[in-house]
Amino acid sequence: MTTIDQRNPELEGIGRYEFGWADADTAGATAKRGLSEDVVRDISSRKDEPQWMLDLRMKGLKLFGRKPMPTWGAELGGIDFDNIKYFVRSTEKQATSWEDLPEDIKNTYDRLGIPEAEKQRLVAGVAAQYESEVVYHKIREDLEEQGVLFLDTDTALKEHPEIFQEYFGTVIPVGDNKFAALNTAVWSGGSFIYVPKGVHVDIPLQAYFRINTENMGQFERTLIIVDEDAYVHYVEGCTAPIYSSDSLHSAVVEIIVKKGGRCRYTTIQNWSNNVYNLVTKRATCEAGATMEWVDGNIGSKVTMKYPAVYLMGEHAKGETLSIAFAGEGQHQDAGAKMVHAAPNTSSSIISKSVARGGGRTSYRGLIQVNEGAEHSQSIVKCDALLVDQISRSDTYPYVDVREDDVSMAHEATVSKVSDDQLFYLMSRGMEEDEAMAMIVRGFVEPIAKELPMEYALELNRLIELQMEGAVG
Amino acid sequence: MTVTEAPNVSSAIETSDKVASHLHPTPSYDLADHPVPTGREEIWRFTPLKRLGGILEGEASDARLTWKTELPEGVTLREISAEEARGLGEMKPADRPSALAVANAGGAMLLDVPAELELAEPIVVTLHGSTPEDLVWGHLVVRVGNHAKAAVVLEHTGAARYAATTSFLIGDGAQVTAVTIQDWDDDAVHLGRDAIRVGRDASVRHSAISFGGLVRLNTEVVYDGPGGEAELLGLYFADAGQHLEHRLFVDHNAPKTRSNVDYKGALQGQGAHAVWIGDVLIRKAAEGIETYESNRNLVLTDGCRADSVPNLEIETGEIEGAGHASTTGRFDDQQLFYLQSRGIAEDEARRLVVHGFFADIIRKIGVPALEERLLATVEAELEKNVGANPSSVVTA
Repeated sequence: MTTIDQRNPELEGIGRYEFGWADADTAGATAKRGLSEDVVRDISSRKDEPQWMLDLRMKGLKLFGRKPMPTWGAELGGIDFDNIKYFVRSTEKQATSWEDLPEDIKNTYDRLGIPEAEKQRLVAGVAAQYESEVVYHKIREDLEEQGVLFLDTDTALKEHPEIFQEYFGTVIPVGDNKFAALNTAVWSGGSFIYVPKGVHVDIPLQAYFRINTENMGQFERTLIIVDEDAYVHYVEGCTAPIYSSDSLHSAVVEIIVKKGGRCRYTTIQNWSNNVYNLVTKRATCEAGATMEWVDGNIGSKVTMKYPAVYLMGEHAKGETLSIAFAGEGQHQDAGAKMVHAAPNTSSSIISKSVARGGGRTSYRGLIQVNEGAEHSQSIVKCDALLVDQISRSDTYPYVDVREDDVSMAHEATVSKVSDDQLFYLMSRGMEEDEAMAMIVRGFVEPIAKELPMEYALELNRLIELQMEGAVG
Repeated sequence: MTVTEAPNVSSAIETSDKVASHLHPTPSYDLADHPVPTGREEIWRFTPLKRLGGILEGEASDARLTWKTELPEGVTLREISAEEARGLGEMKPADRPSALAVANAGGAMLLDVPAELELAEPIVVTLHGSTPEDLVWGHLVVRVGNHAKAAVVLEHTGAARYAATTSFLIGDGAQVTAVTIQDWDDDAVHLGRDAIRVGRDASVRHSAISFGGLVRLNTEVVYDGPGGEAELLGLYFADAGQHLEHRLFVDHNAPKTRSNVDYKGALQGQGAHAVWIGDVLIRKAAEGIETYESNRNLVLTDGCRADSVPNLEIETGEIEGAGHASTTGRFDDQQLFYLQSRGIAEDEARRLVVHGFFADIIRKIGVPALEERLLATVEAELEKNVGANPSSVVTA
């Protein structure tokens, strides 16, 4: 039996990735490759950091060297740590208006539509990170007056050292895993958000990450603190040019949600197919707090990302909506982790994945209910859709329950696009690929509707692009 | 615009026997391929290695379990050499205990049911160990010929440190019911492996029932041709301090095969630990298959731990269906409430709920003679905890 892609080779690669252009790269060309103590010292001194941060970086470097590469997940053999540029400074100073940015960087963001979104007030604040550092930053004045902090992480360390030192590295310790250790050693950029007690940030704050240099390693570090009864929605998007050799994106995101607070973190990751995306994301929730991860993985070569919620206080709630697309040459190893450490906590994980063209999607998750977390509830639902015979889908759901008074349920289904559905739609006059795209859209709809409007539209468009050429 | 080359994924869609997965060690008779585990390996990380009584060191030993059985006419039980066992087509050892068992047992016991023989009564073999001092290596082959029909019950009692591998070679079109009961004393250790080869259009129903001892049982299924069916059932009851681990690996390597896994367990008492790992691999060749896995744990008291991991690896989209479900929780309060509203005392109602939880698995096992006894054992286990009066035993 021939596969759809084999029958229509000309469809391969049509309109697959449209953020693949690269700007002229003078900063990147001169950047040093490889990792050593000197590189770490250099990053720290260029940023004029306090001694404690340098010490922490050094500790991270040591632990990175000592920890083995994880072998249980995706194939990571292609990462050449000696060939990566760990720090690339693209512009000397942060701009406060789009016009102040160097021409090519500004053009990039124009093409991505970010300034437009800001002008139309679709977002309450914007951060744009280009290579290692945040080049543009803006927050709405009224939020600033209410005491909301939305800064890049480097500036936050300088201007708010007391909050910073109190929380930095508390949710994800230096040695949490190999890539968290690497991030701690060479981190640069990222967002720092503090929402004071009772403040509701009603429109999302948005960050945009772009890698331009070939073999770049982007290691942003994000720290979000949502104080009691406050609310914030943070949205991030990611793109990179297509190069023949690989780049590495290894972020660490720490979130602290205090009593009764709520935080929603939405990611639409659309890296080009030569980016290794190895990210550690974790939140802790105090009593009555809610953490929601909305995690979309569409791009990258390999993604390993399992957003976690530690439910530390009573009635805390964690939610993850995860969606993954794997096309040719991609492995999306995504999932979620929920740790119930207090009574009456609840969590839900809903994961949907679509694999096509020989791509591989894996759901990998952990539900842990500690002793004493009575009356906890957890529900996990994973659905996978395979569009052809050459793709692969795996489910690795770990469950560890240490308390009797809990309810925990896990369910997974894997299905192919049913001929009945296709036939029905085609009998109504639809083309096959149109019908296929519609089925896939219907499949991911429960998650798409949780996204901000423009992202939902973007997602739908990406699905269409992904599905184009999937059928003949 | 081009899409970059991706060695990682091209290796994942290979067509050879080897599948990129961290879950399955490569089967081999060579002990060097199965090093002494450190506890960090994926297949060992749930097992309390310190409590295995040194079995994994692999000392030679002549100790044996006492075998008792009555063979129906036509069925034979005899000793064969390890080479002969290999020649019969048994599956290669997949972990250290099974490799050691083959290496140290000095030959295998072959239970042979000839082709086309249909047995009305089950073959019951009891294997009894006399002391946990004894280190026993076991190597068994159960062969059921083409189109035969048989039920085999292996019942383990007493105490020993026992590592064994049992191959079930099911001929084309045969129908087999296999039951392994682990009703050991508390100080026994049993590292077992049941490897099942399902012939073309054959069907097998395998039940693993564990009540006593420290048990780690691997059940593996492969298919010799299209149309095979495997139903894997399990029932376990872990008490305080007890470790019961059931690992399954269904390898859908042939088209139009089916598997259905249903394991139920209860846990009670401080330190009771149940582990259930259900791996299902659907290879590219396995089009049109159907599989479902389910594991349900009932946690009866504080201080228990239940690990439940239904892994599913799928390499083709051309399947009828694949899914799994896992639940862990306490009693269903609604059921309890309903029974109490009908005037049944709480203790009694709890026992009824647990009883109902297990009864449907017990009925599916397919050996009527066992049903009543198993229900009684469940009752006895329950009394240790729930402690209702034994006179009110519920009948099925």
